[in-house]
Amino acid sequence: MNQAEVSKLVSKLRMNIKPEHRRLKNLKGPEGRIDKLRKTVTGLIKFERIELNINRGDEARQYAERLISEAIRHGDCHKPTMDMANFWLLEKQLVHKLFKVLVPRFENSTVSYTKMIKAPKAQNTEHTNKIVLELRGNPYPDLIVKQPNNRLWIQNVLLDAAKYDYRQSKISEIAANIGKDTQLSSSSLTANNKGGTQKEES
Amino acid sequence: MAVTLRKSTELFTVAKWLTRRDCRTLSSLPEKAKLASLEVTEKAETSRRRPKKVNPLLENRHAYPEFLPDPNPKWRNSLREKLERADMLKRRNQIDIPEFYVGSILAVTIADPHSQGKTNRFVGICIERKGCGLRAEFTLRNVVDHQGVEVRYDLYDPTIHKIQVLRVEKRLDDKLFYLRDALPEYSTFSFDMDPEILPEGTPVPINPVKVELKPKPWLERWERQELQGISNIEQYLTKKDKVRRELRKTPWEKYDLMKQYRKTIPIEEQTDIWSEVNSQLQQLQLARKKSTRKRTFSAPKTQLG
Amino acid sequence: MKMKRHVTCLMKKLTEKSHFSTLQITRFLSTQEAIERRSYLFTLEKKRQIENVGRIEKIEVQYKGIPKDCTLVMNKNISTPYDCARHLSEWHMESSVLALLDGNLHWDMHRPLTESCTLEFQNYKAAEPQQVNKAFWRTCSLMLGACATVAFKDTVPVHLHSFPLPDIRSGSFIYDVDLPTLSDWQPTHQEVLTLAAEYVKLCRKAVPLERLEVGEELALEMFVDNEHKSKQIPNIAKTNGKVILYRAGNHVDISRGPLISNTAQIGRLAVTAVHKLTGPTEDGVSQLYRFQGVALPKGVVLDHFAFSILMDRAKKLNPARSPFLKKEDPEINEQIENVAAQA
Repeated sequence: MNQAEVSKLVSKLRMNIKPEHRRLKNLKGPEGRIDKLRKTVTGLIKFERIELNINRGDEARQYAERLISEAIRHGDCHKPTMDMANFWLLEKQLVHKLFKVLVPRFENSTVSYTKMIKAPKAQNTEHTNKIVLELRGNPYPDLIVKQPNNRLWIQNVLLDAAKYDYRQSKISEIAANIGKDTQLSSSSLTANNKGGTQKEES
Repeated sequence: MAVTLRKSTELFTVAKWLTRRDCRTLSSLPEKAKLASLEVTEKAETSRRRPKKVNPLLENRHAYPEFLPDPNPKWRNSLREKLERADMLKRRNQIDIPEFYVGSILAVTIADPHSQGKTNRFVGICIERKGCGLRAEFTLRNVVDHQGVEVRYDLYDPTIHKIQVLRVEKRLDDKLFYLRDALPEYSTFSFDMDPEILPEGTPVPINPVKVELKPKPWLERWERQELQGISNIEQYLTKKDKVRRELRKTPWEKYDLMKQYRKTIPIEEQTDIWSEVNSQLQQLQLARKKSTRKRTFSAPKTQLG
Repeated sequence: MKMKRHVTCLMKKLTEKSHFSTLQITRFLSTQEAIERRSYLFTLEKKRQIENVGRIEKIEVQYKGIPKDCTLVMNKNISTPYDCARHLSEWHMESSVLALLDGNLHWDMHRPLTESCTLEFQNYKAAEPQQVNKAFWRTCSLMLGACATVAFKDTVPVHLHSFPLPDIRSGSFIYDVDLPTLSDWQPTHQEVLTLAAEYVKLCRKAVPLERLEVGEELALEMFVDNEHKSKQIPNIAKTNGKVILYRAGNHVDISRGPLISNTAQIGRLAVTAVHKLTGPTEDGVSQLYRFQGVALPKGVVLDHFAFSILMDRAKKLNPARSPFLKKEDPEINEQIENVAAQA
């Protein structure tokens, strides 16, 4: 059991974090891993939507979220945060984007700043799971379009009509049976009564 | 718990006299006040810039780090953590566990069936605090009879009778293991040290003392650990050592945001924890203050040696 | 070749506007030849109409929709909404079913634009898809006719009769066909499946549905082999002397339109049943066969169970009015006839 580090305070990330980091196979070891992730984080901040392999994408997502949350927490007058942004964003103008564009965009957000969506896998390719990583509030059209179900769509019209048809047939069936039922029940009732009276008599 | 104490009365007295003098030089009370005032002004500046204010409850984390759970999600269990916190507060109601840091000098009295008075008192500098919850522990180090002695205590051990802080201060580093390879005078403290009481409201002083290491061999490669509290490490290093140190440096690690994140408990969770335990901790603090005030007025200082 | 020569000869006659008799032709045209002849006449007439446009004038079409609103400058009476879609993207070309001009007029994708207007594209997922659905249903009926003409052997003459207004709630699209040599045909399950396979083949060709307005005379000439259609044409042309024709591949049929853009937009489908309609034998037409089917647009995913419900329902005889009703009440009948042919 380790003691939590208390020298720094961090905001909670609104996403699931794996207990262990991924190593992202690399010749240069941990340094190369960080270099890889720097490129990805820079790309994400720059293009706002990128497609990646799941391992690298998920790692980079965590770092991007942390970077934005630090920027929101400390603002642009905080030296260590500025250093951090300088380190993670390889292009200088993106530092301005981080503090001037993304911080106001996400300041009052109650959900995560980024979004990770599974990308479709091309057929007969290697088993690499692709994902699409994007910043929320990006200018591109949504990847997942939530279409409300419309009653007027042709399949719904057809199914509605079929349902109506089925009900009508059931109703007519019941209506046809009502007469028979009453006859049957009345006859059975009379039979019962007769039986009862017979029993009483006996 | 391992207690290794050697008693030889004659040498003890000599050591007392020596350490008393050393301790005075090591003590850093007057300088503290200046530093503190500087810090305060700095803080004011930063707070002016910063838009958001930090919850004052969160400051508890320095004094009571064991109330925070292990950040490793493998070991998290909210119910167990809550029960442990309740138990810790219960224990704190039984005995006074004072606020102390790595670098503070403590005196711990513990039940010991083999000693004469059934109790054992040990004085030493805290070189490490670790563990969380009921398993929190700290290690005291002292040099007795020219022999380094380290005792590891569980903070919430029920056999502990009393924990007394003789001097509250921090050092430049989080762990002071390098005292093992330092000259013995840096970890020698007399057993009859008087407690030094800080004026109320002063922040905890940081002792800027830099220790001198003994020549090699060492227990660890101190040169690779970027320690602040060592003054003379360079003179013992060979060329090869220096090259290796350069190769082993990890300058990217301070930018590894997720590594930091995985080691800490986020603000939101901390706020919950501290708002749960804060009122009781406040009461305990008040009680302690009262008792220390009494002590300052009543106890006459006895001069020894 | 023989046929072609014959047709060119006919065209000459047409352009001279001289009287001609059609009686001989009906005798020697087989079904397949008749189809090709119609298609060829359609091509010629289309070419002639485009050449008649003369000097090309420009119109401004204001496009509204994704990715962004824009203005396109197109050719009057030549450019179609489909051409506008080609300027935008492949997605627009493939998914657009109908064009909506000025927010109220539904326009075929392959019908030339006549004046400056605003343009929107509608697909099956539009907010108010009634017109799109109707166009789809109409197209399905028309293609069912095409399927019926193709599916039978050369020995079985097929005379298409008509199809009624699209009624989606009836559960099936229909086409009434006259099969004079088959007096008592009960299609087996296998035969119905074969029909469906033919239908799918036709749709997979992914041909556009072209629209053409022709005069009554030419229309009569094109449908000279089909007695039912040639009876219907004067009725249809009563209002303005024009008949609207559609062509999908080789198949030409009369329909009021609008229809969808391409047969590839028909997705899952089934030809479900062929029912026999009988009526009085005064005209020599005693019975028709009602072909029924059900289809969904491409891209609509429906559970196989739900689709089987739709198929079962489409097997029942569609209650749309039978063309034989006219014998009892000539007035109503005429209306129906009109409706049937125009739909």
